[in-house]
Amino acid sequence: MTPLETLETQDSAEAGSTALPPQHRYAKYLAIFRVSLAERMTYRGDFFLATIFRFLPMVTTILLWQAIYEGAGKMQSEMAGFRYRDMIAYLLLTHISRMFSSMPNLAGGIARDVREGTLKRYLLQPMDMIGYLLAYRVAHKAAYIVTSFIPYALLFFVCRGFFDGLPDPATLGAYAISLILAFLVGFFFEASVGMVGFWFLEVTSLLYIVMTVNFFISGQMLPLDLLPEPWAGLLKFLPFQYMAYFPAAVFLGKIQGTALWFYLLGELLWAVFFMVLARVLFRLGLRRYSAFGG
Amino acid sequence: MSIIEADGLTKTYRVAQKKEGVLGALRGLYRREYREVRAVERIHFRIEPGEMVAFLGPNGAGKTTTLKMLSGLIYPTAGQARVLGYVPWERADAFRRQFALVMGQKNQLWWDLPAADSFQLLREIYAIPPTEFKSTLDELTGLLGVEKLTRQAVRELSLGERMKMELIAALLHRPRLLLLDEPTIGLDVVAQGMIQKCLRDYHVRRGVTTLLTSHYMRDVEALCDRVIVINHGHMVYDGPLSRIVERFSETKLIRLQFEADAPEDLNRFGEVVRLDGPFADVKVGRSQVAAVLAAVLDRHAVADVSVEEPPLEEVIARVFEEAHAGHDAA
Amino acid sequence: MGILSGFTRYLRLLGGLAVYTLNRELAFRGNFLVKVSVEVIWLGILIAFYRVVFARTSTVAGWNEPQYLFFVGCYFALNGLIEMLFLENCNEFAELVRTGDLDGLLLKPIDEQFLITCRRIDWGTAPNVLMGSIVMVVALVNAGWHPDPLRIATFLVTFACGTAIAYGFMLMLTSISVWMVRNQSLMEMWWLFSSLARYPKEIFSGPWGEPLGVFFTYCVPILVVVNVPANAMVRVLDGPMVALTITATVLLLWASRRFFQHALRSYRSASS
Repeated sequence: MTPLETLETQDSAEAGSTALPPQHRYAKYLAIFRVSLAERMTYRGDFFLATIFRFLPMVTTILLWQAIYEGAGKMQSEMAGFRYRDMIAYLLLTHISRMFSSMPNLAGGIARDVREGTLKRYLLQPMDMIGYLLAYRVAHKAAYIVTSFIPYALLFFVCRGFFDGLPDPATLGAYAISLILAFLVGFFFEASVGMVGFWFLEVTSLLYIVMTVNFFISGQMLPLDLLPEPWAGLLKFLPFQYMAYFPAAVFLGKIQGTALWFYLLGELLWAVFFMVLARVLFRLGLRRYSAFGG
Repeated sequence: MSIIEADGLTKTYRVAQKKEGVLGALRGLYRREYREVRAVERIHFRIEPGEMVAFLGPNGAGKTTTLKMLSGLIYPTAGQARVLGYVPWERADAFRRQFALVMGQKNQLWWDLPAADSFQLLREIYAIPPTEFKSTLDELTGLLGVEKLTRQAVRELSLGERMKMELIAALLHRPRLLLLDEPTIGLDVVAQGMIQKCLRDYHVRRGVTTLLTSHYMRDVEALCDRVIVINHGHMVYDGPLSRIVERFSETKLIRLQFEADAPEDLNRFGEVVRLDGPFADVKVGRSQVAAVLAAVLDRHAVADVSVEEPPLEEVIARVFEEAHAGHDAA
Repeated sequence: MGILSGFTRYLRLLGGLAVYTLNRELAFRGNFLVKVSVEVIWLGILIAFYRVVFARTSTVAGWNEPQYLFFVGCYFALNGLIEMLFLENCNEFAELVRTGDLDGLLLKPIDEQFLITCRRIDWGTAPNVLMGSIVMVVALVNAGWHPDPLRIATFLVTFACGTAIAYGFMLMLTSISVWMVRNQSLMEMWWLFSSLARYPKEIFSGPWGEPLGVFFTYCVPILVVVNVPANAMVRVLDGPMVALTITATVLLLWASRRFFQHALRSYRSASS
């Protein structure tokens, strides 16, 4: 592996950042945001092709569930509280959840920075690494959401038959909150995984395993309610459900009243938990990184 | 038959222009502007068997593009070429079996495996008979002095050692034509010298036709008699190295050593480059050398005198600058 | 050089490449183990999904439980074979174009398509073929299947054809990266496209499903890839469908090769 190069103490970097007036600090992140946004939109070919392809699995999903409901003779009734239409609506909505909660290359990027010693560019510049990554990620997400708005709007328009119209404003509000928290849970969760790179050099592999498991236990393949107990209950207790299942279920009005408040609070707690975890791991990791002689 | 015949080779690229900022990028999503870049324009030359020719030019002059067309990696926009009797961009197997391209910045060896494993794979790819393979490999490792390094993972070798391995890999199939693109880039002076020596020895031994690009004049001086200078896609010179100086330099350097301190008024003969106690160097127009020498000897007591050509590197740099200025004006 | 000696030469080369990649893979054992465990988890997910679904129904699009399990195993094995032989190579192609490292490969006196798409064998996905086969055997036992040489032969032929068809599509997708230099998401694109082949083609029913099914069977025959071999083994032996698959294989291999060569003509070779 590449030997890590000598590292400046992180104190100077931090001192620089606190000395700036607050509005300056935000301007800096805004600048990162703008540059990243421009970079993101430069590759148009990729983007168009990817958008078209992204809808192919949706087609098979709709058809597959139709076949399953028909096979079970439940086209007119429901499975675990989901009618056929709900099921498709749910699976469409998990895409929206993932649009907010998925963080391609975040953990891998952090691990690479640690491994190749490029980490110190964050330490030398007067800014906080997690803050930088967050700004960068918000920009990417914003660009992605803006550029995919038309195709997604089209998709939902075509599939509007699966929905009972928009939910009431209160539910919509809860949905918006759940999505923003989903972004934060996703971001800080992956950042924490990336921080493990301070201890194990090959984090990408760990990440693959996490991603694969996450695909199922976050409810991207089917609503968690379809699973037999105790699995369904257990998975709803874990943070992963917030990255796909929970926002979709909120939108469909499957979770209401006290349960809604309870789970929203849970989502907030998980976001805070991972935020703290990422910070702590970062601190500990840096100490280790510097102790190694950089 | 010539080994390389290039007739009017031309390559034009279309480069998308990216706009600044978010709005620019957004617009770029739907409409793009392109700019034509003429990398190489109507180049003609022949290279005969056994020649060792250098391609000179500043960065971005079109050297590498020309090499890539000659080796069949890219298609020319216009023009013809025959290399070893083949049209290179048809990439016939028989053609590819007979030449090698070494690029200083690229490696074809497997990073994580010993070079010997890569050599074995090349043996399979080029279908080299085992006995011939063994004798060539022994010859080359001996020539480069790396017999002991072939069992070591390539990533553990130094840059110079790696370059030697790359050279061996390129020469295993005994190519008739060797194309070298910046073979000594990034190497220290000692390693550069080693590579030059190997190339020279190999050239003497096998008489392989060689075309190399480099912007280290040392490589060129050490290896090549003939030079093709290319700038902004145009060929500006093709001929012996020694004539470049005559052709492009209007001045010579007169180095004088006086008995006493050098006189102050030397600048009326030409540009005084150095004035240091009894020593003085003066740049003088080619045709005036004799007159100036006579005048100086006539007036002053001179202990020693010599007349030199200006350093090649300086001349070449000027050639590039002039071509550049001409290009900008056009 | 005769066709036969040419063929044995390429076969020997493939063997050489396989050995070297194995050497390399063994130098990074941890990575290899992780890859295998990811695949085991993925198979686990597929089977969990299958179990959940069949807990609530006894048939999906006319496929009963053991038949569907066979389909899952067949998909897993075939996909594993593709990933083992071609996916990583094709995925790397965009990077080769971007960095200009493709140059070295184009200069070798050997078929470019062979060298680019078969250069490395991804041993990490080799166990998938085995795991998929085990699932298929379990499904056959569950179904009380009796050995039938004709079915087995047809299965093997159409399985090979399915692999070739998938390869052809992947090669076309790969070729596009010559024009779109940052086509880094080929892996994802492939995943999305191949998702069409993951389920029985009988699910393509209904007013818009059926035309789509026809389109993806006859025009862009991605649906035949897993369906035809699985059908041949555990459901009906459909002669015309098998013939269609073989024809599609030949046509697609030819077309994708032409397309790939056309793409190579546009290769610019990143200037260093």
